[in-house]
Amino acid sequence: MSYKKKSTRTTKAGRKREKWTDILPRYLTFISHMRPILRETRRIIADLDADLLLDTEILDNIRAEEEKRNIRKVRALSEFSAMYRTNVYEIIKDFIVKYRDSIPIIDIKDYIIDFLYESVDALNLLRHITNPDESNLENTYLYVLVKFLEDKLFPRGANLSIIYDKLLKASNEFYECQRHILQSHTYYREKVHNPDLFQIPGISPKVYQIINNITSLFNLDPNFGEYPERESAELPMILKSEVFLPYVDSIANAEEESIDALAERIGLRQLNEIFLAPNHDFVEILINHNFLNEIKQQDGTIRLFPQFSNETLVIYYLAFTSQRRGFLSKELINWISMNFAFLIYMGILKWKLSDENIFYNIFKDLQTNEKVLPYLMKLICFPNYLGLDKMKIRDSIQYRKEIFNFIGSTIDNLKELIEEIAIYSEKFDKERKK
Amino acid sequence: MTEFQDNIWRELLRNFEGGIENSIEKLKNRDIENIPGAKDALIQRLENIKTYFPRKNGELFKQSIDDKIQNNFFPNTKNFTEAFSQILNSRTHEQDFVINELLNGFVTSKAKAIALGTQGPVIDRMVEAFSKRNDFHIVDYQFYAMFGDPNKPKHYITKQLEELINMFGLISKQLVVEKDIRKSERKIYTFYTFPNDIIKILEKKYLIIDEELGYAYVSDAFDRNVFICMFLANLAIYRDDIEKIGGAYTINGICAIFALILLLSFLPKLSVDESNPILNDPGFDQNRMSVIPKSWMMNQVLESLFEPLIKIVAYRLGGGLWLSKIIDSEVNKKIMTQIRFLLKDVNKWILGNLCRVEIPIFVEIANIFTEVLVGYEEE
Repeated sequence: MSYKKKSTRTTKAGRKREKWTDILPRYLTFISHMRPILRETRRIIADLDADLLLDTEILDNIRAEEEKRNIRKVRALSEFSAMYRTNVYEIIKDFIVKYRDSIPIIDIKDYIIDFLYESVDALNLLRHITNPDESNLENTYLYVLVKFLEDKLFPRGANLSIIYDKLLKASNEFYECQRHILQSHTYYREKVHNPDLFQIPGISPKVYQIINNITSLFNLDPNFGEYPERESAELPMILKSEVFLPYVDSIANAEEESIDALAERIGLRQLNEIFLAPNHDFVEILINHNFLNEIKQQDGTIRLFPQFSNETLVIYYLAFTSQRRGFLSKELINWISMNFAFLIYMGILKWKLSDENIFYNIFKDLQTNEKVLPYLMKLICFPNYLGLDKMKIRDSIQYRKEIFNFIGSTIDNLKELIEEIAIYSEKFDKERKK
Repeated sequence: MTEFQDNIWRELLRNFEGGIENSIEKLKNRDIENIPGAKDALIQRLENIKTYFPRKNGELFKQSIDDKIQNNFFPNTKNFTEAFSQILNSRTHEQDFVINELLNGFVTSKAKAIALGTQGPVIDRMVEAFSKRNDFHIVDYQFYAMFGDPNKPKHYITKQLEELINMFGLISKQLVVEKDIRKSERKIYTFYTFPNDIIKILEKKYLIIDEELGYAYVSDAFDRNVFICMFLANLAIYRDDIEKIGGAYTINGICAIFALILLLSFLPKLSVDESNPILNDPGFDQNRMSVIPKSWMMNQVLESLFEPLIKIVAYRLGGGLWLSKIIDSEVNKKIMTQIRFLLKDVNKWILGNLCRVEIPIFVEIANIFTEVLVGYEEE
């Protein structure tokens, strides 16, 4: 008789934690450990005579005493708590040392308590960002913030035209963000043409240049040919070979060979195997947005003159990606969900913490980010939210390090969007409390 | 300038005049403009350029390239700190696009000395590593930990960190720990930071020094482009060592982008009709953008303009050495073709109109042209 216990699981290894009720507690784990440390610190500072704060050794002793009370058995958690508490006390000490000569100590104490209140409040909100049973969904922060962002960066819609409209509307303010979420920083791991024909990768720098070339060629020197789906109409088209002409030593060979797949993602198609022209559905969208101008020729045919903007084709790529969100590449899913998680997290912090809050850096620290954001990314992928394949979110520590380090290269436009999220969150909170 | 150099310079100016004549000819034969008067305005401007540029031994070129373009993006100095400081000062949101494109935007570039491939992520990590600490240092182990196990760093990471440290001239200090906590082994940690003169440049905007606490931490403005500026500064100071900066392709790429900047600065601004839909486009900002004639982008027009202009830029930037590296072959035509598609964030399409964003470098060069024109008229 074997004593080996048989597993009752039927799922594959690595596919264990896929339910909402599995992921949410993991998201809450570290937040639940941060909050008591800040609350406890707040209580200790509030009870402490202000003059005693001038002696930083007292704070060291308090922290040492607090460390002793640590009864957590999980090593990772106790290490994290110790690191977190040390950071909090160090920041408080630095603040006191820096301002003790210019600000009365009683005011310093009040500032610290206020900053701690704000921080606990932010953690409280992050803790109650959603419900364990997803009840009353429309009234949760996670849901409304994902929808707020989704509407601007990755909207849903019954058809491509609706999605394109929504994106174009938001593009005036957030085009750089829209472009950013397509440009995964791990593009070098992807191929333009995947054996899985349906899979959509992000836009690599070279593909982005090719899209720019196509835009310029359509605007500058289009050919006009028969419109297959419309009688007496002429469609603008450009020579495929012209797009790739500038590339020395065939350095865009991969892209040239995958032109069919690439063209489909930007709303184009191949005609007669040598031309690139807008596909039938895209023509309607282009006309609606003034990107194609219908001009009647002397012979009665209608010629469609292109007048593209920089974003015309890039936004189509995004709309196409959004519509086929079930078929995105692993890199793109990780990139999009990471950006959403990052924006929501930073938006909440922006709303709850004043700019001068001394604990801001702890929240922004990568060590904190990597404990919170991976699970937030997975929550955001659930069907009620972005509806992406969360099984493609990578779990390896190395990959997390890799992806979160790119947070450092955020663009200015993302910062503007974070401000917007903060304003929207506050507004939602007020309405919620009414 | 020696007599020989003088002859080369005169020859380059003559070729440029010939190129312009050619372009004007081509322009007269075709019209792809949709804005009334655009073609005429462009012809008029090219005529002006033809008349005034070669005057006084190409004074306009010298001022635009030597004073403006080089000072902003490619300082003519052997001093790294000075070059870095000048490039860093020319940073604006849009000029960052130019700086980035100078390094990794040129589609044919096969150069190895620039921020391509795996060096990009390594730079991102360096930004994070500096942001993490409050002493403006990075530590080798901490840095390796950003990529995986710090005790077994990947070969390419150690190699690239070393290369970047040498290129940026970072200075190092070592800390020897006789027994580390992990395995009670002897460990040597290396701390890297910038030399003092670079720190001075970074102070205030990029680096906040808290003298009271003895901390130095980076501000939100400290980003990967600070390092990208260093790359560019490095190319600028080693311009005479062609192999070191990536070979002929780097030179061709840099000269092509500068030639594009030069031409964009001189292009006429068009007044569009009140009914033109571009005026209602939310992406068009009349205060900081201007429509430029579309026919300027025609291959036939640009080809004859760019070839002599790229050579002029090459000669001013790197003398005969750079001039000799300008590729004169079929590849050249490909390079010319792709120049049209560069700098699309500052030379963008809005509803089929080519719009120039008025970034400082365009304004500065355009001002030189205006001043010189006024001067000649007064004479």
